[in-house]
Amino acid sequence: MEQPTPSVLVQLVFLIPAVASILAWLLGRLHRAFAELIGLLGAAGALAVSVVIVGSALRGEILTGWGRELRVDSLSALLVLLISAVGVPAALFSIRYMRHRRLHDAQGRDITDARLPAFYGLFLLFMATMLWGCVTNNIIMLYVAVEATTIASGLLVAFYWDRRSLEAGYKYLMLLTVGITFALFACVLLYASAAPYLPGVNAMLISELRGVAGLIPRSVAIFVVAFLVVGFGTKAGIAPFHPWLPDAHAEAPSPVSALLSGVMIKMAAYALARTVTIFFPAYPALTVFIVVLGSFTMLLGGVMALAQDDLKRLLAYSTVSQMGYVIVGLGFGTYLGVYGGLFHLVTHAAAKALLFLSVGAVIYATSARSISELGGLSRRMPITAVCFFIGAFSIAGMPPFGGFMSKLTIFMAGAGVGMWAAVGVGVFTSLLTLVVVFRAGQAVFWGEPKSAAAALESVREVPASLWAAMVLLAGVCLLLGVYPQLAYPLLNRASLSIAGVLAGH
Amino acid sequence: MPYNARLIETLSMVMIITSVAAVESHNLKRAAAAYCLQALLICGLILAFAVGNPALYIWALVAFITKAVLTPWFMMRYIGKTGEEEVRPIIGFGPSVVIVSVMLVSFYKLTHTYVHVLAPTPESAAGVFRTNLAIALTVFVLGLYAMLSRRDAIKTVIGLCLLENAVHLSLVSLAPNMRETALIGIATEVVVTVYLLLYVISGIREKIGTTDTFELAELHW
Repeated sequence: MEQPTPSVLVQLVFLIPAVASILAWLLGRLHRAFAELIGLLGAAGALAVSVVIVGSALRGEILTGWGRELRVDSLSALLVLLISAVGVPAALFSIRYMRHRRLHDAQGRDITDARLPAFYGLFLLFMATMLWGCVTNNIIMLYVAVEATTIASGLLVAFYWDRRSLEAGYKYLMLLTVGITFALFACVLLYASAAPYLPGVNAMLISELRGVAGLIPRSVAIFVVAFLVVGFGTKAGIAPFHPWLPDAHAEAPSPVSALLSGVMIKMAAYALARTVTIFFPAYPALTVFIVVLGSFTMLLGGVMALAQDDLKRLLAYSTVSQMGYVIVGLGFGTYLGVYGGLFHLVTHAAAKALLFLSVGAVIYATSARSISELGGLSRRMPITAVCFFIGAFSIAGMPPFGGFMSKLTIFMAGAGVGMWAAVGVGVFTSLLTLVVVFRAGQAVFWGEPKSAAAALESVREVPASLWAAMVLLAGVCLLLGVYPQLAYPLLNRASLSIAGVLAGH
Repeated sequence: MPYNARLIETLSMVMIITSVAAVESHNLKRAAAAYCLQALLICGLILAFAVGNPALYIWALVAFITKAVLTPWFMMRYIGKTGEEEVRPIIGFGPSVVIVSVMLVSFYKLTHTYVHVLAPTPESAAGVFRTNLAIALTVFVLGLYAMLSRRDAIKTVIGLCLLENAVHLSLVSLAPNMRETALIGIATEVVVTVYLLLYVISGIREKIGTTDTFELAELHW
């Protein structure tokens, strides 16, 4: 039995970026370079702490903080590592990228440098709230953290402050706040109905709630699960609660899109996994419901992506589709299903962040992001092209990239429980995704430029800090595909922590 | 139980009337004032329940600061920037009132009869708690109706505030023993979100010239 060990690392992992956020905002007003540097350092600090936390998790330790308010097991460690590991390349990418598009006020003055400290401050705050959400053991604070990520990222989505970004920001804040209110209702109901059975113990602690999930009155449990799915599912991009996603991910600055698609929705899926899976032992039919929802999401996202001309919206719909895979994997309710779902969480985070950064590079070089306008870029931007295709093939589930391994695991899990329909939908969607991303990549990088913007002589490969971030993520995609065993130790423990819940102990 | 049922019922009814006023009023400043009144009544309701649970005094204070002071202040400030007259919704005043009244009565009846389905513990289904849950659910639906049927972006924010108020009010009967830190966290977040929304809407007003949500149609599938 793993013994909980109090550790300051648990608080540090989100306090470092939180403090850095304030510093970036304050010191950035002296010179934007301070904001950029602190942005990178804050993310790197979180990564360093995450790596140490993962080390403890692999030794079987459970770290706690503030009594039992914060609790880091292998699953939390995995998410924490994921968030900071994607955050660092995104922060690196932001440095040159955010300087490139100049912002002007109503009088036409260039105010970019004045707004960058706010960008980095919010960026780090965004990371801090996500990290906090993954280490909290308190179900009400989980709601607070998820809502806090919306607050932190709301102004990031609207950052460019033009018509489209403002519209996206408005819808983002509105839809997510309403959605998360359902989750609040569910969390409170769960707490209140569990309270009589957990006397003397804080009934808000998720680690305690799993034991009493079966004792809650049936009708209340149904409401709780429904509202949790609506609430956290909205945030995780599950259909039919996904409409906020394409707008927000497309209009946000590319490094922010990488964080939104790459890690924020993963954190929401984590919240869903933590809270809904405690009901699986008492309500086995729930697994079917979750798998159906996931399959619907998979298919809808894939089909909608097919119809997109805007590269970023295409990627956003693809994100919806891939989250379907994660939900289906978790929904199968077996160790292999959970392993596949979590593995896909990791491979998709790396690949989707890579894709958004690659598209960001394209935007940086050509100021265009429509497939119908671009073409022939591989000649001028070879590194970006290679990175894009690596991400694309990983998303589509092609070997030797990570996505192939994670999807295969999910299909095997589906076969294991006999849900062949779900496997069929998954395979079909994979093929669909392959068509979508290949067609996009081919139209953008091969062939001839289809507009003046893409044919400009000035179009050339992006600066080193941009492609370095992309190459890093591309390396991860390749590594996970060729050596999936690398992720096994941590994924195994993380899956066991959920699978233990699923088995009813 | 020392609850003053009459007081609670009276406060609840007036609170619903102010909620309807907040939704229907075409002058945004008056709508915000109606909302402020509604928030005050909610504080009153929480205080009425506090006799049975002293922790609720803190909740009432938090609710007062966030809902009755900060939120209306932000609203008034931004309404000053974006204009007082609401962009008229498609559903006019008359039909609106009818729809809202029908909804209110049916939801009140529904929740009062079926409260045991939702109540997490037997105590929550008793007497005044049942009234509270029923009221909270009706205001929730009212807020949702406002968000879906109003064309003016500021009105949708008022709808959101009503929705949140409803959920927070329901906490009184659902989770009377919840810790204050949790309540403070929940209430603060809504205020910050409302502020951000209003800030974004004022930006929209600057860039587009109106707060009409029908104009926010650049992004479609």
